[in-house]
Amino acid sequence: MRLDALFGYIVERLPELWLRTGEHLMLTGCSTLAAMSIGIPVGILLSRTTWLRGPIMGVIGILQTIPSLAMLVFLLALLNKIGVLPALIALTLYALLPIARNTLTGLEEVSAEVMEAAEGIGMKEYQQLMMVRIPLAAPVIVAGIRTAAVVGVGIATLSAFIGAGGLGQFINRGLALANTKLILLGAVPAALLALVVDFSIGAFEWGLRPERKRDKKGSAQSFMRPLAFMLPVALILIGSVTYFTKPGWIFKSETRFETSHRIIRLATKNFTEQLILGEMMAQLIEAKTDFKVQRRFNLGGTMICHGALVNKEIDLYAEYTGTGLTVILKHPVIADPEKALDYVTKVYHERFNLQWLKPFGFNNSYAITVRAADAEKFRWNTISDLQASAQGLRAGFTAEFAERPDGYPGLRQTYNLQFGEVRDFDPSLMYEAIAKGEVDVICAFATDGRIASYHLKPLKDDRQFFPPYYAAPVIREDILKKYPKIGDVLELLGGIIDDATMQQLNFEVDAKKRQTAEVVTEFLNAKEILYIEN
Amino acid sequence: MIKLTHVSKSFDGGQSYAVKDLSFQVRKGEMLVLLGSSGCGKTTTLKMINRLIEPTQGTVEVDGKDVMGRNPVELRRQIGYVFQGIGLFPHMTVEQNVEIVPRLLGWSSRSKRERMQELLSLVELPPESFAKRFPDELSGGQQQRIGVARALAADPDYLLMDEPFGALDALTREALQQELLTLKKQLKKTIVFVTHDLHEALLLGDRIAILHEGHLEQIGTKKDILNAPATQFVRDLFTTREPGTFTLRDT
Repeated sequence: MRLDALFGYIVERLPELWLRTGEHLMLTGCSTLAAMSIGIPVGILLSRTTWLRGPIMGVIGILQTIPSLAMLVFLLALLNKIGVLPALIALTLYALLPIARNTLTGLEEVSAEVMEAAEGIGMKEYQQLMMVRIPLAAPVIVAGIRTAAVVGVGIATLSAFIGAGGLGQFINRGLALANTKLILLGAVPAALLALVVDFSIGAFEWGLRPERKRDKKGSAQSFMRPLAFMLPVALILIGSVTYFTKPGWIFKSETRFETSHRIIRLATKNFTEQLILGEMMAQLIEAKTDFKVQRRFNLGGTMICHGALVNKEIDLYAEYTGTGLTVILKHPVIADPEKALDYVTKVYHERFNLQWLKPFGFNNSYAITVRAADAEKFRWNTISDLQASAQGLRAGFTAEFAERPDGYPGLRQTYNLQFGEVRDFDPSLMYEAIAKGEVDVICAFATDGRIASYHLKPLKDDRQFFPPYYAAPVIREDILKKYPKIGDVLELLGGIIDDATMQQLNFEVDAKKRQTAEVVTEFLNAKEILYIEN
Repeated sequence: MIKLTHVSKSFDGGQSYAVKDLSFQVRKGEMLVLLGSSGCGKTTTLKMINRLIEPTQGTVEVDGKDVMGRNPVELRRQIGYVFQGIGLFPHMTVEQNVEIVPRLLGWSSRSKRERMQELLSLVELPPESFAKRFPDELSGGQQQRIGVARALAADPDYLLMDEPFGALDALTREALQQELLTLKKQLKKTIVFVTHDLHEALLLGDRIAILHEGHLEQIGTKKDILNAPATQFVRDLFTTREPGTFTLRDT
């Protein structure tokens, strides 16, 4: 890519970059502050009660070892909420260990000689703590805060998985779209932010240090001192203000709907097809109603989207019949597409007060996929053909597929298949992996554009193991009742996308790296459904 | 007056004693030197006077009152203490170090300031150039003068000094010893001074208490001790040295 094009690419996204950076700062700053307000008192308490030290530091240490995503998902389940709150709690828990441990270490390391002097001249215990021990431990405590904050900047990129925003959103979207530029747009600023945070807390520490006589009065140094002190505070303020005000000029789309007052919150999972479907529904709703669509795209998986919908955090997203059936309802596979749709429609209504609308038309079933060259060489046409050589094959599956009953566990039983090695991948990296020969078999999506562009071959499901995966909007019934217009508009999308069309749309975004919104608008215009009524 | 009566201290529940059955008095206005080698219990004895260490048996009285019956914080604020080594607060300026006890006692900032300036002049460190410095910007001798100034800040009747000059070079030590003698004449404080340095003990002490393995071997003026050593230990202490090294100037 040429430099000026890259520059243009960044400038175009500058407003959003600003917003995401603000969110990121807010997440890191607020969680670090929260961890300080817990961790420092805990450290002080532990320095005075030796017997509590083992158990409490143990618990805090264990928290640290929980993988970040697991922690986020766990909190999600616990709080029944997506977004900022679980992210803040998770980040706070991670920040706790360095802060509490450094507080304890710092307090312990104050020399016994100095503490004896403090006692000997007649300081009360709390005076010894406040006037001597804490001030002398301050550099070590601040170093702990510094570690916590810098690590926090990194972990905060994962918050985007649960819709908390931040720079991770670019990374997530980039991963979903296999778009390196987008990934870098999130990753590079995040790395820079870590440096800025590190520097600002370093400056704070410097500002905290007592001024020496040999530092000349009125010099640049003594002028800088209060500024250095303010730096981290300013950073957190900027982040919080950006986050809470979401300045209008940041969202160009918002100004377009100055008169709008109602909002539909639309979510997607984190892969290309979902983003396309989400964008399609959003554009249609925005074109044909006076609703504004809040795009809460790229949530990290089925359970997160469904959970958010049931908890009324979002209003709709596109789900697949097979996923609804086996993952949400834990029902055995129903091979007949019509019956499967009827079943999920009925049970979703009864159990969740959610409505399945008319499917878009394509069946995005899982497809066990190999390299086309291998298929020709070994004469693989059906999944059963893999049986003989499975032990020598390396499989790359999405984490979801590896665990779902309609994924690898069921596949293994039905076809008596046992692959030599199974590795979990992010959906988009899975395709890279097979193209580069790192794995031999993947669980592609039947409509994925990369099947064609990477020269892959989906094998025939000769025992009809995979249930039908017809995608359809799933929407809250109370929204539908209140605004029937939304339902009417979404019905327009019913049956208009067949497998080949979906594959083509995915191909445009994944392989040609085109903007999702642009591809969607082009498609809707071609189908002449976007502006007919207006 | 400070009075110790049959004082013992054990740190291990009675198996061994750091100080064993110690009785002596410190008279008003005198400088009593506790002399002994390391581990003889002299610092432990000193710390029992302001309750940094509490006696296992016996009583320690200050001004006729048992220290165990007094609030330790208030007691310590009334007794100046100069610590072994440095003992200054490294994060505080000279000014803040000297003002710390008056601050704890809640003096007005004006009287704190005046007292600080008075004391810095007394220990010959002009406040205008030293008040804002930090301890690590001072020489060892200067630091210990600040230690003395800090101990004197609230104008206590008693001063406890725990080998205050032990870490200084010989020249500085000698200068400070002379200054202490001058100060003592000016201020009329009752001072208990711990040292392992024979020369220092003879130079400074109005009376000397010689401790050995937790016992009091002898207490008396240097004349008493030199002329009539009470035990073999005291006799050995003085005869193993070249005669004349400690007696010339003083006797």
